[in-house]
Amino acid sequence: MNKYWQIFKISFQQEFAYKVNFIMWRVRNVFQIFLIFFLWDSIFSDPGRVVFGYDRAKILTYVFGVLIVRALVLSARAVDVSADVAKGDLSNYLLKPISYFKYWFTRDISSKALNISFAIGEFTLLFLILKPPFFFQLDPLILIAFLASIVIAIFIYFNLLFMVSAIPFWAPELGWGGHFLVTIIMIEAFSGALFPINILPASIQPIVLATPFPYLIYIPIQVYLGNVTGIALFRTLFLGVSWCVALWLAMNNIWQRGIRVYESIGR
Amino acid sequence: MDKAIIVDRLVKNFEVTEKEPGITGAIKSLFSPKKKAVHALRSISFTITPGELVGFIGPNGAGKTTTLKTLSGLLYPTSGFVEVLEHDPWEKRSEFLKQISLVMGQKNQLWWDLPAIETFELNRAIYEIPKKEYEKNLTELVDLLGTGKLLTTPVRKLSLGQRMRMELTASLLHRPKVLFLDEPTIGLDLVAQAKVRDFIYEYNREYGATILLTSHNMDDLINLARRVIVIDEGKILFDGALEELVNKFAKEKIINVTLSGEDDIKKIESIGKIKKMAFPQVTLSVPRAATAVAASELLQNFPVEDLTIEEVPIEEIIRKVFRGALRK
Repeated sequence: MNKYWQIFKISFQQEFAYKVNFIMWRVRNVFQIFLIFFLWDSIFSDPGRVVFGYDRAKILTYVFGVLIVRALVLSARAVDVSADVAKGDLSNYLLKPISYFKYWFTRDISSKALNISFAIGEFTLLFLILKPPFFFQLDPLILIAFLASIVIAIFIYFNLLFMVSAIPFWAPELGWGGHFLVTIIMIEAFSGALFPINILPASIQPIVLATPFPYLIYIPIQVYLGNVTGIALFRTLFLGVSWCVALWLAMNNIWQRGIRVYESIGR
Repeated sequence: MDKAIIVDRLVKNFEVTEKEPGITGAIKSLFSPKKKAVHALRSISFTITPGELVGFIGPNGAGKTTTLKTLSGLLYPTSGFVEVLEHDPWEKRSEFLKQISLVMGQKNQLWWDLPAIETFELNRAIYEIPKKEYEKNLTELVDLLGTGKLLTTPVRKLSLGQRMRMELTASLLHRPKVLFLDEPTIGLDLVAQAKVRDFIYEYNREYGATILLTSHNMDDLINLARRVIVIDEGKILFDGALEELVNKFAKEKIINVTLSGEDDIKKIESIGKIKKMAFPQVTLSVPRAATAVAASELLQNFPVEDLTIEEVPIEEIIRKVFRGALRK
C-alpha cells in the first residue's frame, strides 16, 4: 500500500512543478463555466420560460453541478498513457514490481484530489459572483447514491481512457487521434458535460443512454437532483456497475494483447 | 542455481509498416500499408553463469537491445526458451522484477521536473526496500558515482552525464542480482565514462552481480568484459573470451621491423601490406599462415636491426564487428 501512497505524493508534487501552467488551466476552467452560464442564462432570460423541460433554476443547477462532477470524474492523468505506449516509456513501469493500472489510478486520484480542492474554491467564488439559484440536496440517502454514481463514473472513465490509450500498441501514430475522438468529442457530447442529455430529441436519447458516456456526468447529476429515485435508482446504479465490469474486462483483454505486440521502442 | 541466464533458440520477429517518403507516401501507406517482417533474432542460444560480466557487441540493429529487452520481460518472444534467475521474464513476477534492472542509456525513469531524490524515494517504496538498507545503498551509490550535491536539483537541470549517473543510482537501489546495461556510457564525456565504467566493474566484483552490457564504446568492452558475444543480423557469430576474438577473426598478423640502413624499400611491398612507414620503422600486415615465411624473408633480404611479430590489436577486430565486417 505504501507504494501507492508514495506515488500519490510524488504525483501531487509533479502537478505543482508547473505552477503557472496549472493556474492558467484553472482560469480556463472558470472561463468555461462563465461561458456556459451566460449561454444558458440568456436563453432563460425570461424567468418564466421553460425549454426542454428545464427552467432557469434547474439548468443553472445543472451547470454548477457539472463544475464539481467534472473535477471529480474528468480530471485524470491517465490521458498520458497513450504517449507512454507510443514512445516506449511504458517499459519503465513494466520493469518494476508494480501494477501499471494501479499506478495510473493512483495518479488519477491524486489529480482529482487536487482538482476538487480547487473546484470547490472556484465553485464558491462563482457562486458568490453569479448568485445562481442552486438546489442543495439534503437527503442523505440521495447523497450516498450520488457518491456511488461518482465512483462508478470514475471507474468507467478510467477504463475508457485505458482502452483508448491501448491504440498505439497497434498504431503508434493514432494515439492523439483516438483521444480526440473518444475523450474529447464523444465524451463532451454524450456525457452531459455541455448539455443535459434529456434536451436531445426523444428518438436519440435512448441511444445515448445505452452507451457508457452519460454515466460520467449526466447520470450523477440526475441522481444528485433527485430525478432518479426508487427502483429506477437501483437499476441505474446496477447498470453503471455492469458497465464498470464490462469495460474492465474488455480493457484488460485489450491490454494483454497489446503488451504482447509491444515493441518497447525508442532504443 | 548454476545458470543465471539461459537462452535457447530464441526467435523474435517484428512487423514493421513501411512508408515511402513524402505526402504521397503517407497517403499510400494509409490505404495500403506495406507490412514487412523484421527478423530481429534468428534462433540465438547462450547461457551465463552467476557473477559473469558479458559484453554484447555487434553493429547497429544487430539484435542486442532486443535480446536485453526479451531477457528483462519487455518483449514477448516469437519462439524459443528464456530463463533468468529461474523465472520466465515474461511473467513479470514481483520476485523476479525485484532482482533485475535494465538501464537504457537513452531512456529516462527519473521524474523530469522533480529532484532525483524523489524518484529514489519512490523506488524505495516500489521495490519495498527496508529503510536502513535503502539509506546504506544510497550513500554507497552516491559516493561511488559522486552525485551527492545533485540529489536535490530538478532532473531537467542536470547534464546528460549527471543524469546518467542518477539513472544508474535509481536502477541499482534495490541491488539487482542481474543487470542489463544498454549503452551505459553513451553521450558521456571521458571522465564520466570512466566513472561509470569503474562503477560497473566494482558493482560486479563486490556483489557478484551478473551483468550483460552492450556498448559501442571500445573502452567499455576492453576494460569490463572478459567474455563477449558477437551478434549480427540476429545471429551469434562468436561467444567466448575477449582475447580469443582475435585468434578467431584476425586473418593477419602485424610485423614491426626496424631497418639499419636504407635499402630498396619498395621491395618490402612484395612481402606484405605496408600499414605504416616512418623510416627506419616499417609496419607490415601479413596473412597469419605466412607469418614465419615473411619474417625470415625480411631477415634474409633486408638490413634488419629489430623485428617483432604482434597480433592485430583487439580494437581493430571490434571495429570490424561494429562495421558488420565479420559476416560470412
